Amino acid sequence: MSVPPAVSMFIAAFILLNAIVGVVTYITLLERKFAARMQSRIGPYYVGWPHGWLQPIADAVKLMIKEDIVPAPADRAVYNLAPLVFLVPCMLVFATIPFAPGLGVADLNIGVLFFLAVSALEIVGLFMGGWGSNNKYALLSAMRAVNQIISYDLPFIFAALVPVLLTGSMQMSAIVGAQHGLAGWFVLYPVIGQLAFVAYLIAALAAENRVPFDILEAESELIAGFRVEYSGMKFALIQLGEYAHMLGTSFLGALLFLGGWLGPGPAWLGPIWFLLKAVFVFLILTWVRWSFVRIRVDQILAISWKLLLPATVVLLLATGFVVAAGGGRGL
Amino acid sequence: MIFATVMFWAVALALVASSLAVVLTPNLFHAVLYLAAALVATAVVFLLLDAAFLFAVQLLLYAGGIVTVMVFAIMLTERLTGQRLTQTNRHVVNGAVMSFAVFVGVAGFIMRSNATAAAPASADRTLDIARAIVGPFAVTFELLGVLLVAALLGAVYFARTED
Repeated sequence: MSVPPAVSMFIAAFILLNAIVGVVTYITLLERKFAARMQSRIGPYYVGWPHGWLQPIADAVKLMIKEDIVPAPADRAVYNLAPLVFLVPCMLVFATIPFAPGLGVADLNIGVLFFLAVSALEIVGLFMGGWGSNNKYALLSAMRAVNQIISYDLPFIFAALVPVLLTGSMQMSAIVGAQHGLAGWFVLYPVIGQLAFVAYLIAALAAENRVPFDILEAESELIAGFRVEYSGMKFALIQLGEYAHMLGTSFLGALLFLGGWLGPGPAWLGPIWFLLKAVFVFLILTWVRWSFVRIRVDQILAISWKLLLPATVVLLLATGFVVAAGGGRGL
Repeated sequence: MIFATVMFWAVALALVASSLAVVLTPNLFHAVLYLAAALVATAVVFLLLDAAFLFAVQLLLYAGGIVTVMVFAIMLTERLTGQRLTQTNRHVVNGAVMSFAVFVGVAGFIMRSNATAAAPASADRTLDIARAIVGPFAVTFELLGVLLVAALLGAVYFARTED
């Protein structure tokens, strides 16, 4: 019996979505454990003894049974829609990521561009939340978010375009395919690869609003930023979206620079390699988050416009020259 | 095929509804949100027409970029003036007549030019767009860049503070 493509795609998307939600809940535990270790603590321990294996489940259940509060002066429709509008792009980015050859929902030939374009939509949900809450902290946070996203979208895109240029294709599977062989990973590409990877990580930190770029949640001044008024399931959705976006960015980084599913061993190990590499990227970001202090708004803008943006433009130009000197690939 | 047709009409309906909402809602912030919805719907229309590259660019530049800048402007002005901005329009009827006339004109033009929508031969349309931009349309493309830089410089000139 043959299944129509729409149905099989729907099933693939359903499985992927559930897998992502599962991984995302456990990646929060990983982060908490990692952060605790960095601060000489143990972290969650008693829920699901030992080492708190059931902590994420307990957190999820707790959030689900919490009271759902809508502030009286809030813009109800906007306030209620915001978590959904925030979550959908964060989940949609996984649609084009292939986890092994042929294992993914849709390996579009504009894969990387699709990822970048869809994750640019996340900001709409963010400022809907910030505005709809009708709270000055939330509004300030949304303004800072808009400011930061405008500044860091371009360096992020330019850094992600370096592997695309080296491959000559925006298709994710083609980018992984171009990284075959010993030292074939783009992060090992002389000079350009390392610089692009570092730029990617910095811009990813900013795009995910993590320390040192977390001025929009800044718990000491803005409490929790745009999500300050949210509670219960809506808060859970925003958290889920945020971590899903982080995971997606980690997967994209592992795919663009660390060779995706390539690794020693039989082919079925591919997805596991890929997951491990994505977790590695995630841990780098977490490591930075728990070691640095928050920097000021003007410093954040200066880093982007005066350093990161020119640097990535020059990097992209240099990559273009390298590709042209090598006779050009792809086209 | 039926699936594509149903999708098209659903998206087209959403597009028209959100576009109307953009011009009719008095709340400026809601108008921008409807505009974002309209731009996303336009992107989906591109996707249904198999123009994946245009879909991505539409999302990245319009829904991601332009809407963000607009929201930024609204938030800043509301904070500066300290009052809710409202959108008022005394020309709803005139606007409706004008837009209907434009619609009839464009629709008539399209219906009389009996160009059937034939799918391009190449499978990878993104590659075609790339080749066209750096090939026959290279000069046009560069001129567009110059135009945008000129616009940017003009904006900076008008926005500068007198000192």
